[in-house]
Amino acid sequence: MRNINAYVVKTLSSREYIAPGHRACAGCGEVLAMRQVQKALGRNVIVASATGCMEIVSSPFPFSSWEVPWIHVAFENAAAVAGGIEAALKVLQRKGKIEGKKIFVAAMAGDGGTADIGLQALSGALERGHNFLFICYDNEAYMNTGVQRSSSTPFGASTMTSPVGSAQIGQLTWKKNMMAIAAAHGIPYLATASPSYPMDLSEKVAKAAKTEGPAYVHVLSVCPSGWGIPSDATVKFGRLAVETGFFPLYEIEEGKYRITVDVEELLPLEMYLKPQGRFRHLKPELIEQISRRVRAEWRELNRKAEEQKEIEERE
Amino acid sequence: MVTVIINGKKYQAEEGRKLLQVALDNGIEIPHLCYHENLSSYGGCRLCLVELAGRKKSSLVTSCTLPVSEGLEVKTDTPQVKKARRLVMEMILPQAPDSLRIRVLARELGVSAVSFPSEGDGCIRCGLCVRACEELVGAGAISFASRGSARTVEPPFAEEPESCIGCGTCVVICPTDCIKMEERDDERKIIRWKRTLKMKSCVRCGRPFLPLAMVDVITRRSTSPPPGERLELCPDCR
Repeated sequence: MRNINAYVVKTLSSREYIAPGHRACAGCGEVLAMRQVQKALGRNVIVASATGCMEIVSSPFPFSSWEVPWIHVAFENAAAVAGGIEAALKVLQRKGKIEGKKIFVAAMAGDGGTADIGLQALSGALERGHNFLFICYDNEAYMNTGVQRSSSTPFGASTMTSPVGSAQIGQLTWKKNMMAIAAAHGIPYLATASPSYPMDLSEKVAKAAKTEGPAYVHVLSVCPSGWGIPSDATVKFGRLAVETGFFPLYEIEEGKYRITVDVEELLPLEMYLKPQGRFRHLKPELIEQISRRVRAEWRELNRKAEEQKEIEERE
Repeated sequence: MVTVIINGKKYQAEEGRKLLQVALDNGIEIPHLCYHENLSSYGGCRLCLVELAGRKKSSLVTSCTLPVSEGLEVKTDTPQVKKARRLVMEMILPQAPDSLRIRVLARELGVSAVSFPSEGDGCIRCGLCVRACEELVGAGAISFASRGSARTVEPPFAEEPESCIGCGTCVVICPTDCIKMEERDDERKIIRWKRTLKMKSCVRCGRPFLPLAMVDVITRRSTSPPPGERLELCPDCR
């Protein structure tokens, strides 16, 4: 599904659920992802959105970009609120107040609202097994407050709170593996997605919405302002992240791994890192070190997917 | 705007919209297979049947072809509707016994045992691919052929369709996934239509990325600005 384009996207919904006029930066990959996600979810959805870029840009008082019911909650509890909405819907349905309607609940948060501040609420909601979808828009730092590091910031990235200087080379820790954390809860559906692959993304979101029980979708949202790239290169860097193996696109369905956008030969990681302002300072040996880790993780992911294929073939 | 009554509740809708779309917009589930919001209505799968209320004799109509008008009243969940949908599903299921989506839908409608012989190749004659090829792509490479039980979807004369540009829209839109696409080296194959297309390779990285036939069509159709260099490079190199 890597090379289908042009006419195939016409099969996506022609309706818009995110109105234009929001305050996102030029070339924002996150609002692009949000638009595609909403197209896949449709109109019958209630969204609980944690504090973050998307809350700031889509709801400056007294305006709103949302054409679906939307609740802004605190930074840490998007998943908990979504769980509450889902429970309330169940009760209302049991009492016959909203009979015959299928209403879906989605929680949305940035990487800070998912991996740092919202982690315990997310873990709780996944463990309780609410029928909802959690979407993490990962732009790899706290962008709306001016690029501070989060636990999702990749190794070596320069941010305001992990600066480059004589003492350190930017972020000193590796990116938190949120997919593995969410998968450890044994939930039925997880996927990574990128708005640079719109068909792949909408297929995954639609699948997640159909899943009974909790689902988690991790979306890489390229951030031109925070990453130091030109605003017309958003889609390109989304694709480069996949092609270099930095952010592989895969799904885990009932514990079964499947790589959805297969890359036969990974591109050199320099192509992705070097043009970005936040990685500009990296020396070749450091890029080599990151590259080794990225390739090891890619091999590990491939091994899991291959194992799955073998099991299926044997059956 | 007009007011329609679905299952006893009033809803506002734009006049002339199809009832199925109005229902879906308001969260009322009606099963359907041959309807797509970006395509014209066809009324082929017959699953979206609803009952027109307020008449002496109740009648079933397909909601995907029913334009809404002031005061229209329908019921989507009566025993008669359910019975009709079950019968329709009993006829669809043998045509696509391997499709997961059809099997799930059949289970939801309460169809398990099938009284018709199972001899399908996955195609349920919903015509989505035919309409998508005509209306979304503008190629018109496939159409219905033959009549009655021999009806199939085929390229003209069941030969390799020259007008197919290999865009893959039919592959994505097919509800039963019976249209398969394969890519090997610089060739793309759409297996069901027996179409083999040469791919254009990116001038920078050398990887094939777009069928040559599609490049021709895009070049011909784009007037301003001309595609120029954009079609020389693959999406990763642009």
